[in-house]
Amino acid sequence: MVTTMVKKYCLFLFGMLVFLQVSAQDTIQVLWEKANAYYTTEEYQQAVSAYEQILNSGQESARLYFNLGNAYYKAGDINNAILNYERAKLLAPQDPDIDFNLRLANQFVVTEIEALPQPFFTRWRNRIINLYPADTWAGISIGAFILFLGLLGLFIFGRSSQLKRFSFWIGILTITVSAFTFSFAARQKEKINQRKHAIVFCPRVTVKSAPAQTSTDLFLLYEGVKVEISDSVNTWKEIRLSDGNVGWLPDSCIVRI
Amino acid sequence: MIKKLLIYFSLLFIVASAGAEITRFEMSAPNAVEMGQQFRLTFTVNERGSNLQLPPGLSNNFDVLMGPSTGQSTSIRTINGQTTTEVTYSYTYILRAKSEGEFEIRPATIEAGGKVIESNPLKIQVVPAQSQSQPQTQQQTPRGGENQGSQSVDLGGDNLFLRVEMSKQNVFRGEQIIATVKLYADPNIPISGFDEVNLPTYEGFYTQDIEIPNQINFTREVYNNRIYQVGVLKKTVLFPQQNGTITVNPFSMTLLVQQRVRPRSFFDDFFSGVQTVRTTLTSSAVRVNVKDLPTQPANFYGGVGNFNISSELSAEDVTTNDAVTLKLTINGTGNLRLIRNPELKLPSDFEVYDPRSTENVRATDNGVSGTKTVEYLFQPRFEGEYTIPSISFAFFNPASGTYETLSTREYTLRVEKGTGAQSATVMSSRQREDLQLIGQDIRFIKQGNPLLRVKGTTFYGTPLFYGIYGGSALLFLILFVMYRKKARENANLALMRNKKANRVAIKRLKAAAGFMKKNENEAFHEAILKAFWGYLSDKLGIPVAHLNRDSALAALRERNVDEELTSSFVEIIEQCEFARYAPSGGSEARGELYKKAASTMSRLEKQIKR
Repeated sequence: MVTTMVKKYCLFLFGMLVFLQVSAQDTIQVLWEKANAYYTTEEYQQAVSAYEQILNSGQESARLYFNLGNAYYKAGDINNAILNYERAKLLAPQDPDIDFNLRLANQFVVTEIEALPQPFFTRWRNRIINLYPADTWAGISIGAFILFLGLLGLFIFGRSSQLKRFSFWIGILTITVSAFTFSFAARQKEKINQRKHAIVFCPRVTVKSAPAQTSTDLFLLYEGVKVEISDSVNTWKEIRLSDGNVGWLPDSCIVRI
Repeated sequence: MIKKLLIYFSLLFIVASAGAEITRFEMSAPNAVEMGQQFRLTFTVNERGSNLQLPPGLSNNFDVLMGPSTGQSTSIRTINGQTTTEVTYSYTYILRAKSEGEFEIRPATIEAGGKVIESNPLKIQVVPAQSQSQPQTQQQTPRGGENQGSQSVDLGGDNLFLRVEMSKQNVFRGEQIIATVKLYADPNIPISGFDEVNLPTYEGFYTQDIEIPNQINFTREVYNNRIYQVGVLKKTVLFPQQNGTITVNPFSMTLLVQQRVRPRSFFDDFFSGVQTVRTTLTSSAVRVNVKDLPTQPANFYGGVGNFNISSELSAEDVTTNDAVTLKLTINGTGNLRLIRNPELKLPSDFEVYDPRSTENVRATDNGVSGTKTVEYLFQPRFEGEYTIPSISFAFFNPASGTYETLSTREYTLRVEKGTGAQSATVMSSRQREDLQLIGQDIRFIKQGNPLLRVKGTTFYGTPLFYGIYGGSALLFLILFVMYRKKARENANLALMRNKKANRVAIKRLKAAAGFMKKNENEAFHEAILKAFWGYLSDKLGIPVAHLNRDSALAALRERNVDEELTSSFVEIIEQCEFARYAPSGGSEARGELYKKAASTMSRLEKQIKR
């Protein structure tokens, strides 16, 4: 009786050891699943650290940022939630879930900023550009280019004049589409690369008129606000709000998206 | 038994016959007297009577000291020009109690208007003589029956006090208590009036006042074996609203009492020695212990007391959209006003309005009683047979200390379809509930493949991306060049064949000439055909396989070859084909055909070139 108990115990220990060894060489996929499981069982802090671990491996994706944002939100860290939702939105601007959760998280932000109205064509262009991430646009651009080449061939070697006319116009259309989507892709890529926006992390910060502590106080910002970085001097950053206000902030108070 | 019946009958008869003018015969006496004290027993009758018989057994307990002394009073009233005269005769006896106790005086009888009339019975309580008041009464008698008591009596302590009398001290929550505020005064204290009266505020109770006459009537009452004149100041029905001990706080009032001033000198007695004194009385606090109700059943609506319920449905056969009322009546005694409207579970597709409740409640000495009526108004929307469920109503009966449950009957409501227009509007106005958002939360995390990639990398901008552009363009160029080259080569081939065509044809014609000399009929014609078809194939750029007479003719016409020339070409072709299968003619015909073929060929060459 006792021996069987000891045997069982040993087996259990052995199993634990094997498990630990396996978990030491966790692949990212396993980490990802573990983090999701933590989130599902409402252990949000553990979920956050697991997601962060994946991020530290140098990889990223919209889904990862979204889930991390969710975990931060549930853990009560709204600033980090907003930051990660914004990052997810950069990679997947078309995802309605990200938009929804970001909107919800932004309800906790104290400072309410009314964005300046943009001209309709800017709005339309932004909306079209944000339909897809950079890579989708790049793919569309390549597809359109190849189609254009085919139509060009048809135009050159086609025998009937009707076919030539058809291929000419469609060809012009496809090369235009290709050019536009190329520029869209470039713009999306630029957003990812530049990371011009940032989230205010200080609970309360006074925005100055110049990059010096002694300069005039302009306005107060509370945590969670999204700002656009337009200039930088030493440890100071010039920020621009969506309502057009401009001022200087110490570097330490914001985190770039 | 028979006697009793006879009396009842005669009474009924009297009542019936005296419809216009009722003969009243009343007996009155103080309800509490002291032992050895004289008191009056008075009979009044509103008609001249005779043969007054004192109540039987009266002399067992009381001494009749004097009487009867008769009196008569007349009142004349004029109402709307009608004058009525009322004469009241009274007979007064002076009695004295023989012993202590509570005695019942049975009705007396009198003959009036030829009938024997019975009076009301009375109850008299006889208490022991009081040491304090006894000398005073003795003192009073020699004064010649001066009832205006103007002696100086101590105004404190037992002689003059306020009291809140509670009908019960231990009750359940919601059980009614009758609280009576009473002023007790020694009969010898002449009260001339009230000043500030601060009646008690019953905190922790739901109260309902019992109506009492504005004028305070003093009655004699025995309390702690003493006779007092008691004035009821206020009567209230109380419903305790909280558990535990509820204290009714003391209250106070100021009385005006006439008091005789003790003569300080001999002369004082000649002047008025009566003076009005103000005295303030304060009651003591009263406590009521309130027990909580036992565990309440679901159909308990707060009713404590004793109730009955009944229900009534306004109609059982209706058409759609008719208003139907179910009337629930709760009657009985208890906290009717505090009963919530019982719940009526109607079919869900009825249009249900808020129930309306009315109360008709009286507060009397027995407590609060009356009826509460709840009207449930609803409209059936669709035809069919519906069941109006019974209403289950539980109340707490403090007498038994248990809950009792009553139920109304069930009704069946038959609804028929109303007019079409009505039901159509109803259909359109059917309740459609909006989606109700209960809470708001972020959306759940994304599962599945995380689709990770190294930070900051995109397909756009990679060498592969540009490579696909360049590669596809390059591929296109290569294909283009290759195609062009091939096309050029093809064009050269055609030109060459075009150039060679004549030579080849001449060669074939020569071969035909050789066959002609050898007299090989079939080979000759075949050679001529070959020469022509081959020539045309090369010249017109039509592959031999696609070449036949029609396509050749069409091609020739396209190139504006003379009609005469094409017809001679057709002639040669037909002749050759005919000659191949039907060998005929001699060498002359063959020679002629050869010449014709040669000339046609040379002319074709000239015309096609052009």
